[in-house]
Amino acid sequence: MVRGRCVRIRTHPIIDFPKRKQLSFCFQKKRLVGEEGDTIASALHAAGIRTLTTSLKYDNPRGFFCGIGKCSSCLMRVNGIPNVRICIAPLKEGICVEMQDKLARLPVAEFFGEPTKTLDFDVLVVGAGPAGLCAALESASRNAPVLLVDENQCLGGQLVKQTHKFFGSREERAGTRGIDIAKDLECELHRLQREGKIQVMTDATVIGYYESKNRHRFGVVKRCEYKSRLYDVRCKAVILACGAMENMLLFPGNDLPGVYGAGAVQTLMNVYGVKPGDRVLMVGAGNVGLIVSYQLLQAGIMVDRVVEAAPVIGGYHVHAAKLRRCGVPIFTSHSIKEVYGDEKVEGAIVVKLDEQWKPVKGSEEDVPCDTICLAVGLTPSTRLLSQIGVDLEFIPEAGGYVALHDESMQTSVRGVYVAGDASGIEEASTAMIEGKIAGLAAAMQLGRIRKKNLLVQYQNQLSQLRAGPFGEKPRIAKEKIAKHVEIGHV
Amino acid sequence: MKRKSDVVIIGGGVNGCSIAYNLAKKGLDVVLFEKNYLAAGATGACGAGIRQQWSTRENALLAIQSVKIFERLNRILGQDIEFRQGGYLIAVHDSQGMEQAKKNVTMQRSLGLKVNILQPEEIPKVAAILDVNGMRVIGATFCPTDGHANPFKTTFAYAHAARNYGAEINTHTSVVGLKVAGKAIRTVVTDKGTIHTDVVVNAAGIDSKEIAKMAKVNLPLKPFRKEIMATERLAPLFEAMVISFKDGIYFSQQKEGQIVGGIPIPEETEGYKTMPTFAFLQHMSQTLTRYAPVLKHVNLLRHWTGFYDVTPDARPILGVVKDVKGFIQCNGFSGHGFMISPMVSKLLTDLIAEGKTSEVLESLSLDRFKGKVTEKELSVVG
Ligand SMILES: Cc1cc2nc3c(=O)[nH]c(=O)nc-3n(C[C@H](O)[C@H](O)[C@H](O)COP(=O)(O)OP(=O)(O)OC[C@H]3O[C@@H](n4cnc5c(N)ncnc54)[C@H](O)[C@@H]3O)c2cc1C
Ligand SMILES: Cc1cc2nc3c(=O)[nH]c(=O)nc-3n(C[C@H](O)[C@H](O)[C@H](O)COP(=O)(O)OP(=O)(O)OC[C@H]3O[C@@H](n4cnc5c(N)ncnc54)[C@H](O)[C@@H]3O)c2cc1C
Ligand code: FES
Repeated sequence: MVRGRCVRIRTHPIIDFPKRKQLSFCFQKKRLVGEEGDTIASALHAAGIRTLTTSLKYDNPRGFFCGIGKCSSCLMRVNGIPNVRICIAPLKEGICVEMQDKLARLPVAEFFGEPTKTLDFDVLVVGAGPAGLCAALESASRNAPVLLVDENQCLGGQLVKQTHKFFGSREERAGTRGIDIAKDLECELHRLQREGKIQVMTDATVIGYYESKNRHRFGVVKRCEYKSRLYDVRCKAVILACGAMENMLLFPGNDLPGVYGAGAVQTLMNVYGVKPGDRVLMVGAGNVGLIVSYQLLQAGIMVDRVVEAAPVIGGYHVHAAKLRRCGVPIFTSHSIKEVYGDEKVEGAIVVKLDEQWKPVKGSEEDVPCDTICLAVGLTPSTRLLSQIGVDLEFIPEAGGYVALHDESMQTSVRGVYVAGDASGIEEASTAMIEGKIAGLAAAMQLGRIRKKNLLVQYQNQLSQLRAGPFGEKPRIAKEKIAKHVEIGHV
Repeated sequence: MKRKSDVVIIGGGVNGCSIAYNLAKKGLDVVLFEKNYLAAGATGACGAGIRQQWSTRENALLAIQSVKIFERLNRILGQDIEFRQGGYLIAVHDSQGMEQAKKNVTMQRSLGLKVNILQPEEIPKVAAILDVNGMRVIGATFCPTDGHANPFKTTFAYAHAARNYGAEINTHTSVVGLKVAGKAIRTVVTDKGTIHTDVVVNAAGIDSKEIAKMAKVNLPLKPFRKEIMATERLAPLFEAMVISFKDGIYFSQQKEGQIVGGIPIPEETEGYKTMPTFAFLQHMSQTLTRYAPVLKHVNLLRHWTGFYDVTPDARPILGVVKDVKGFIQCNGFSGHGFMISPMVSKLLTDLIAEGKTSEVLESLSLDRFKGKVTEKELSVVG
């Protein structure tokens, strides 16, 4: 077992991390203490435990990577139940957490299952990030009963970790911090919840799409105390706002504990108040890489440098300038060659790239660090869309395969809508408007509202947001999508 | 892409690829077309169980001889196909079932197969996770040399070896037409060009019916959607494939640790349906955990569908057809075309390369459906 010196963040310029109730739990037969609101992963990390499992084939130590339940590199045994994704499993008093001996052994305890339950709603919204929240609010306030489902314990998707002030248009709350936008949306949601217009299911995963005669039908697994219950959910319209998945890079040592996705680093420090490490090497100088670097500094963590393979910085220059002012160098045309360390990250070799993006011999530099943060882009989550059978197209500017959709965010399958990063990687501001459009269009399809002018208004807002120089990539992506749709219609 | 070849094979499943291998090894000029990627059809969807315990003599013979080949296949093809012999345990639930089981066992033993009839209390000795009461059994049959393999690796290994012998394998190429003149095959039309040949092997799985239509041949094939699932990976629990003809369930644990299995949903009807059903989730998990209650703790990870290409007697259609010379059938496997592929490809290779026919090929030709009633395979699962 490897123990680092990671600790809790107590003072922070933006976020308040009050001391919370202590929860004691058992890890490998030892007693550890975490805090109320922790996931098992954040509690273990705060206790200095980075190695969670070993790889099946080569016995390599493994830590977590995505921190949001998407990569299964954090499977452990909790209260005898194997294969629990501890990065999204809430910490509870008295639980017993164990490392699995590679493949899971089954518990001897009796299993108390609960029977499958059927639910029927007008609209199902998958994902409660900015896109899903806005979609749910829009449909529900037009009197279309909504079920909103998210895998995480808390609502807000990526917003809950974004402590910086947002860019974008005034209407979409530019200048407001992501965490505050999430709070506002949640407030509105609770109001509609009290009115009985929305039902919210957190800690629940939409697992699949199933054959059905005249409705859309999904299976949803709701976790409760590390057990689960299956729901048979039927709906007339569905809005898929499942967000995106972090990209991985290929290099030797990329599976060492301490190599994290930017999302995981952000989650750990901004949501749970736990330092991911003491000295970080950031890979990627897009907005995510720049912002997370700055947030690391705010949390009192040293950022050695930012390396970026492209010859230019991809993100906003204000973010880059802020970093430089704090003394963090940004090396463009540089990449990571390998990461080394015994059981955990101890350093990395970075290398300069030539015009052909090939490593320049002799330019290797050894960078001692305990954390590698990968901010190398996102890929839209299209698994459910693909299973439903909507038309998908590979569009590099959108981040990979995306669902073709029309101006009302409807895909090639009637009643199936998409919004936010799932429809192409972009930003929270545009995700929110796309969510509103999808929510409104779904309500219109169900005959709850007829006036089209609001829809047009939202669509105009979206074009305005994409008008600037940083809107170029999504603009190209959306133009390509429109072209494919047009060809399909002819 | 070649413009001319001795044989054209349509379909890059396990059967198409193993025939390509066997023919190329004999020195024939072989071209294979697969409209998608290799193993994209039933092969990539299947449970890949290998069972010798059949009710008809032909199937039992084909399977027994195929197992002999599977046992040597790693060495022959030079790649690991993950063939494992954990045995097949067939649950028997009532006296009628036992009567049929005894009949089957007698026939199987006459072919030299080692098969045992087990008492209920002997069942957990084969697979400790099984609950005899939950299974509602009065006994079982068990053949220790049955097993399973990895269908992808098997297909890829055949294709690789076939290429080494000079076969041309074209993926992402669809056959869109067949040209017949003077009652014989002349040309195959694909979406990437045409090719001249005297022999075409129709190994296109459920699409074989469409292919046959291109030569004005009617195949009595019906599509049935079959659902199958895989659980998360677990430490080794049991080695046998467990099946029941009455409940329709089959399941086994793979080398990587996941449990793979399927069951037909009671309300299933024929048709080209591909969407998974919620009913399967429930029916499979209820039956599986009735058989092995400890699996209640396990998460299902994936669930997908594939087609059985079902014939009226649940036996494959192999060999020549009367009206079109050179048009060889290799389809209608009715849910068990993986396990007999080594022998099927050998028999068809003998037929194509040397004009040699056999008792099995004769009895499985398309002609058998004309007029007289044929013996139906009863030991069908899934
Ligand atoms: C570091 C960083 C900085 C950023 N800064 C800005 C900025 O300044 N301005 C800006 O506008 N944008 C910014 N963004 C981008 C913005 O956060 C995202 O574009 C936005 O969150 C996308 O919203 P979404 O609703 O599509 O997806 P997400 O916020 O990712 O939400 C998707 C949700 O769906 C859930 N989910 C997925 N699949 C399932 C399933 N099968 N069942 C149940 N739930 C599921 C997920 O758990 C998740 O909670 C930033 C992003 C990052 C990472
Ligand atoms: C759920 C399930 C479980 C099963 N379990 C077992 C089992 O345990 N044991 C067992 O022995 N069998 C099992 N089977 C049956 C077995 O999978 C099949 O019988 C066997 O794989 C058939 O192989 P094949 O090569 O004949 O056909 P396929 O694998 O279906 O290959 C046919 C190929 O032809 C291609 N094709 C179709 N049309 C064209 C065209 N026009 N041009 C070019 N290419 C074309 C298709 O893309 C496909 O790849 C199962 C089947 C299913 C669906
Ligand atoms: S699933 Fe837990 S770290 Fe990715």
